[in-house]
Amino acid sequence: MSTPLQVYEPFKAGLPPLRKYWRSLWSRRTFISEYSRSELREQHFDSIFGQLWLILNPLMLSAVYFLLIVIIGGSGGAIRYGHLTASLFLFYLVSNSLTGGVKSVTAGQRLILNTAFPRMMLPISATVIAFFKFVPTLLVFMVIRTFLGLPFGWEMLWSIPIIVIALIFSLGVAILISTINVYFRDIASFLPYLTRTFLYLSPILYEASALKPQLRTFEHFNPLFSILESWSLSIVHAQTPNLSSMLTALAWAVGVLLIGTYFFLSREREFAVRL
Amino acid sequence: MSSLSASNTSHATGDIAVSVQDLSLTYTTAIERRPTLKARAKSLGRGTKQTRVIHALENVNLDVAYGQVLGVIGTNGAGKSSLMRTIAGIIPPTKGRIEVFGSVSTLLALGVGFNPAMSGRANVHLGGLAAGMTRKEIEDHFDEIAEFSELGDAIDAPMRTYSSGMYARLGFSVAATVQPDILIVDEALSTGDAHFKEKSFNKIKELRSEDRALILVSHAMATLREICNDVAWLHKGKLVNRGNPNEIIDAYQDFLHLGKSSVIDEDL
Repeated sequence: MSTPLQVYEPFKAGLPPLRKYWRSLWSRRTFISEYSRSELREQHFDSIFGQLWLILNPLMLSAVYFLLIVIIGGSGGAIRYGHLTASLFLFYLVSNSLTGGVKSVTAGQRLILNTAFPRMMLPISATVIAFFKFVPTLLVFMVIRTFLGLPFGWEMLWSIPIIVIALIFSLGVAILISTINVYFRDIASFLPYLTRTFLYLSPILYEASALKPQLRTFEHFNPLFSILESWSLSIVHAQTPNLSSMLTALAWAVGVLLIGTYFFLSREREFAVRL
Repeated sequence: MSSLSASNTSHATGDIAVSVQDLSLTYTTAIERRPTLKARAKSLGRGTKQTRVIHALENVNLDVAYGQVLGVIGTNGAGKSSLMRTIAGIIPPTKGRIEVFGSVSTLLALGVGFNPAMSGRANVHLGGLAAGMTRKEIEDHFDEIAEFSELGDAIDAPMRTYSSGMYARLGFSVAATVQPDILIVDEALSTGDAHFKEKSFNKIKELRSEDRALILVSHAMATLREICNDVAWLHKGKLVNRGNPNEIIDAYQDFLHLGKSSVIDEDL
């Protein structure tokens, strides 16, 4: 008698065998790329105007916020505009991952009820889609910063590990929010307020260095703060970001990913019943 | 997780394909239609959450061997679909154990499909990849699937434009074309027009082979009598009887006090 290929046993709160889960996730990596591509195609990002919109949308937003800064703060300048644009673009990576991730599991209902597969693929795809949307905006920023005459330097390469940290964080929030949405379906309507709050709490409309020291202590509780601070220093100012700030960012990102993954994995076998 | 591409060993007739051991399945469903934070907050003061417990399956023991074509019958709510979903690994059992010795392809009540805004082609690809097939395996089968479904150019149209018959045809074509070790078909035999019904019926007959196990859930008694070599009768989550198709189906029809009328023999 051969050993069974699959054994299904009662649901226990807790983690499934992680190595096996990872293997079956890895063997389905083509699903993630195929799904992301189909989704982007469906949102018309394969057409010229679709891609243009992808860039125009954050560009126009940054123009509007710049207007706001100039009117309220009374100061403009190339650095200011560069900082605003770069920070908004990275913020949108996280926020797109969040808004794409929130319904990823509930929207995959048909597939979940019909096929056994690692459900984690759905929020992962949401983050991959957000990343695909982020890449062209990054290229646009490179063009913009040339026009603005911002300094170039090797220190800008620090932005690469920062993008990785931002991706880990984005993945973490996508996984976490998709789990929460299975149990509380109205969380999606609450999301715009959440992202808006983080937009204002994070150093996007202002620079991190401009913040009062009393307020800075509170910002340790904002995961995006240290990510965006390091991001702006490296890619806008071409300076080496603060190491402790980068480590805080990494700690937040890995922490959120671990918590999100734990919640997701320990609940996912129940998803089919909950949908 | 089941994986279609994991099938490369051949199976001898009589080897166990699926072993369901003392399986129980209990759902706790919330009374409120959509679980929301608002609803939860409102019910905080009232104490207990309003839930209903459903015993979908109780102590079911069932072995399916290779070479067997098992029909599963029972009234609505007997637990047929729940049994299929637990065998496919979609819903974890509450009690008991299921062992599966081979790759499983499922055609469950909802059929193929993932995102109705995407084309039939994209959905077939995504469904296949999610089930663990490789891109190449899907490509190899794709033409066959498209041809069998008789969708023609509609395969590239968004699935929301499909009629229910087209949906069902595509679903059947996917499940039947991938050549799994174990094929589970839930209520999908009697979809489509007479022509497609005939065609899917013949396809199932063709798929009957010594090294494959088929599990068919259907209300089409005449079809089951003809195709199956074994029938299991579920009632209210319990396995009532199992054995020779004609005997079990006769008993089932007696139980329903219907006798053999052409209406229930027909594919409903």
